Amino acid sequence: MNMKLEELSPLYEYQEGMPWNPVEKVIMERRSIRGFKKEPLPDTMIERILEAGRFAPSAGNAQPWRFIVVKSPEILAAMEKDAVRVIKFFMFLLDYTRTGFLLRLIKKPLAKFYIRILGNELHPVPFELMSQIALGKTKVFHDAPTLILMVEDSRGVSCPPMDIGICGENIVLSAHSLGAGSCWIGLIKVLMYLPWWRKRFGIRKPYRLEVCIALGWQKPKADGAVPREAQVIEWFDRGLNDAPRYTKQGVKS
Amino acid sequence: MRTSFSFFDRIRIPDYDSPKQMQAGELLFDQEKCRQCGICVQICPGGCLLTETTTKMDIISGKAKGGKYGVPHVAKTRKGATMCIACYDCGAACPHGAITIKQNFNPGYHYKRLTQTSDMKYPLRY
Repeated sequence: MNMKLEELSPLYEYQEGMPWNPVEKVIMERRSIRGFKKEPLPDTMIERILEAGRFAPSAGNAQPWRFIVVKSPEILAAMEKDAVRVIKFFMFLLDYTRTGFLLRLIKKPLAKFYIRILGNELHPVPFELMSQIALGKTKVFHDAPTLILMVEDSRGVSCPPMDIGICGENIVLSAHSLGAGSCWIGLIKVLMYLPWWRKRFGIRKPYRLEVCIALGWQKPKADGAVPREAQVIEWFDRGLNDAPRYTKQGVKS
Repeated sequence: MRTSFSFFDRIRIPDYDSPKQMQAGELLFDQEKCRQCGICVQICPGGCLLTETTTKMDIISGKAKGGKYGVPHVAKTRKGATMCIACYDCGAACPHGAITIKQNFNPGYHYKRLTQTSDMKYPLRY
C-alpha cells in the first residue's frame, strides 16, 4: 500500500495539517535503496551530492570528515569479495542459528560472549544479515556502482561520529531529491580488519572508517512512504516537580 | 509506559532464532493483488523474502529470468523465527500494493526498546 504524497506545500510556511513540502516529501519517501542500475551516476552529479555533505553542520565547525569516492568496478568487486570472506570467517565462529545441535552448544556461548562485548556490531539485525551473506543469500554492497566512504577524523570536536551521521544524511537526502538512490552500509567495517584495505584507503590514526554510502540509479524504483512504530513522547511542559505528559507521536489524539 | 528495564532484561541476551525471545516483523501478502513480479524479493535488505522458485540472489544474478516467480513468503529459521526487521521496503516498492505489515520488529531482553509502541503508522501531517 503505497502512500501518495503528490500535493505539495510551498517552502518556509506552516499551517496546521498542510500537505508536505518538497523537503519533507524527500525525507518521508526516502527508502534505503538496495538495487542499482549498472551505470554509475555522472561525475558532476556525484560532485553536486558531495557538496551537500560539505555544507553539513558539524560541532565547532570542525568538519571532521574525508570523502573517498570508489567507482572502479574492479575495486568494488574486490571489496565485495573480501568483505564476504571476512564475514564468512566470523559467522563460521559465531553463527549458532543455522548449525546442528552439537555445534550450537559450542557456538552459542561464544557468540553471546562476543555479543556482550560488541553489542552494536552483533545486534540481531546485522547478525542475521551477516548470516545471510555468509550463506550467499544477499550481498554486502548491493552491486552499487559508486560508494562514498565517510572517513571520520577522530580529532573533531565533541562527537565526530555524530558529525559523520549528519553529513551523510545531507548526502543521502540530496541524492534522493535528485532522483538517485542511496543506502547506508555499515558493514564496510569488516574490511578494516584487513590491512591492505586500510592501506589502500589511508585509514590510519586519527582517521577511522565506520560507514559508507552506496549511490546509484534506483532499479527498481523503491522510494515511498512506509508505516513506522508510533513513539511515546515525554513532554516536560508543566511545573518543576510535575510528572511528564505522554503523547503518541504519529497517532492523532 | 514502562520507564526502565528490569535487571533480568539488562543481563539476558536473547536467542536470535527464537520467536519467543525476538519479535520480528510480520508481512501479509495479498494472493489476489500480487502479480508475482519479484520486486519485493529483489529489494529485501537481508534476502529474507523467498518464493517457491526463486531467491534474491537468483534475481540479482539474472539466473531467474522473467515470468511469474510466485507469491513470496518470509524465510524462517529452524526454530520458527522470521528475520523480518519491519523496514517495509518491500511494501514501498510494490507497484500493486499487495503487501501489508502487521507487526513491528522488537527484539527481546537486552535489546528491548521502551518508547516504541506496536502501532505501525504512516507519516502524519500535524
